[in-house]
Parts: sequence; structure tokens; C-alpha cells
Amino acid sequence: MADVPKSMAASASAIALPMARQRKREEDAELVRLAQSGEEAAFEELIRRHQQRVFGLVNGILRRREDVEDVAQQVFLKVFVSLKRFDLRAAFSTWLYKITVNECWDYLRKKKVRPLVYEADLSEEQVSRLDGVVSAERPPESPVQRAEARDMLERLLDELPEQDQRLLTLKEVEGFSVQELAEILSLNVNTVKVRLFRARARLMDVYRRRLGSVSNRPAAKGRQKTHGTGS
Amino acid sequence: MEPVHNIAACPEFEALLEDQLAGELSGADAEKLAKHVEGCAACGDALEEATAGTRLLQLAEAAPDPGPGFSRVVMARIRAESDRRSEEKSLWLPLISVAWRFAASATLALLVLVTFDASRHSQARTRVAQSHDLFADPTSPPASRDEVLRMVVETNHGN
Repeated sequence: MADVPKSMAASASAIALPMARQRKREEDAELVRLAQSGEEAAFEELIRRHQQRVFGLVNGILRRREDVEDVAQQVFLKVFVSLKRFDLRAAFSTWLYKITVNECWDYLRKKKVRPLVYEADLSEEQVSRLDGVVSAERPPESPVQRAEARDMLERLLDELPEQDQRLLTLKEVEGFSVQELAEILSLNVNTVKVRLFRARARLMDVYRRRLGSVSNRPAAKGRQKTHGTGS
Repeated sequence: MEPVHNIAACPEFEALLEDQLAGELSGADAEKLAKHVEGCAACGDALEEATAGTRLLQLAEAAPDPGPGFSRVVMARIRAESDRRSEEKSLWLPLISVAWRFAASATLALLVLVTFDASRHSQARTRVAQSHDLFADPTSPPASRDEVLRMVVETNHGN
């Protein structure tokens, strides 16, 4: 593909992608029919095909890795129970993702989970490390540095409105397409694009504010984080 | 949704800028955006800022891999759940069968009672009809006023 112009490559992939999606949808439909007639193996195959996406979606919404597996299991149990009622008018994946989103909201409501609360600011050194990532000059090299940078990013994300956190995580971290996000969140495609673009800007705004507060601070404080649960 | 950030892009180009970031912009839209960004510093800066934000987001870690065991765990939970349900069902099964038998016997008894009652009623009606026949007046009632007067005259005739 190296010699192919970028626009041609983009249009070729634009054709190939819907075809692959259509094939996957038909395979899913066949598996659903088999599962509806009582074949457990077909349902297990459906789980295998979609488990990673469901994990990603749950992780993107809850942003609590420790609860991802429990919620994902609950999602598939609910899907199994209501599979007989699914009429295949929509794609199985769309239906599954909507159940997942609802399960996440239920979970958040029941647990009354509050987002992570950080008690202290970032240190000067930490911000300068993130600055290397932002300017693409010094990406973190060691796994420890990477883990630390990731932790700092989490803290920046936590300062954003929840909707921004979810959109950015689902799109950039879990790899959901704009089209998928629009279907899952029942939004217009253009609305998702605009919200995503603004969410990126807000993330950078938080980052710049942090950068500013560090450069104005006489001494950098250490950092601590706590999980807040309201129950 | 108010834009809280310092660098605000032109609202009508935000969706295109997002497409550009995702590398999904081609053809006329790509040209349109390129032309606009050339003359609009705010959109150019916003695009740069969003690109930096995307780089930052690359640090984040995706959800853990569920692994091959996940589907087995879910299936085991499903089987356990359906076993529990069928066990619950089997617990109620003898009671349900007794209830059905009781309902069937009650219906049968009701049917017998209704039939008996109906036959008794019809017998009684026949008996009443027969007694009516015994004491029935063979003469027919007068049809007109003249006939009544004639009957009175006839009755008094003997006096």
C-alpha cells in the first residue's frame, strides 16, 4: 500500500470495511438463530466474537477495571435470557452494545460510584514527562515511566465531564468507530464527531491548566489518589 | 455544551476536523477543510491541539483481554442458572400435578351438578305443564265487547 495515494487507500478501505461488517453481521445472525433454537455452542461462539468489545465498552463507561469482568458476565447472562425475543431486525452487535450500556448505567446507579478523587496535584516532573508525550519529543520509554504517564492521563481524564471521558476512552482507547458510538449512544454521527473534537480540546485545556499551575507553584506536591464510593 | 477550551474552532468545521484527525477525510471535504485551515488560525490551532490530545490518549490502556476462559465461565453461569430454575420447577412439579387433578375433579363434579339440576328443572316444568292441562278452561276468552255482553246475557238468561 506504500505507493498508493492516501485518498485512494482511504476509499478502498471505505469499501472493504462495510463489506467485512456486513459479512460479520450475517455470521452473527446465523449464530443467533442457532442459539435461539437451543444450541449452546452457538451462543458460546457469540460470546467469543464479542467479548473483547463488550469489555472495552464496559471499561470505557465505568473506567473501573476491577469491575469490568463482573459487568461483562452480567451482560452476557442478560443477552442469553432475552435472546429468544431478539428479532434480528437490528445487528446483533448493536443490540448487545445497547444492553451493555444499560447494564453499565444500572451498575453505576446501584453502586452510586463516584469518579476517582485525586487529593493532590501533579508534580513538576510528572507534568514535564507528559509534555514529552504531547509534543511527541520524548515518549515514555520504560514500562514504569509508561505506567506513570498513564496514571497521570487518567487523572487528567477524571477532570473532564463524564460524557467527554467516555467518548474519548471509547474512541481512542477501545477503538470504537464514530458510527458505532452514534448507534450505541443513540446520537447523530455528526454530534458524536463534534463532541469528540470538543472533548479533545477540553482535555488539552485541563492539561494546559495543570501545566500552568505547576510552573506557577513554588514546590511540587506529591500525589495520592483515593476511590470515592458513595454507598 | 459550551466550549470551555481556549482555542475554539469554527463550529461548522468541527466535524470535518474530527474526520481529519481520524484520517477519514478525502475528496472535496479534504480540499474544503485544507482551504479553510489555511486562512483560519483558530481552526489550525484547534487541529494541532486536538492532535496533541490524541497523542496523549495513546498512553491509556485498553480493557484487559477477557481470555479464552471468559466464555466458558459465562456458559457455566448460564448452565448453573438454568439448573437452578429447573430445580425450582421440579420442586413445584408434584404440587402442580395435584392441583391439576383437583381442578379436573372439581370441574367434573360441577358438570354433574349442573346436569342434575337442569334435568330436575325440566321434570318440574313438565309436571307444572301437565297440571295446567288438567285445570285448563276449555272455553276461549271473549274476543270483543259484544261477545262479553252476550255471555252476560246468556248467563243471566237462566235467572
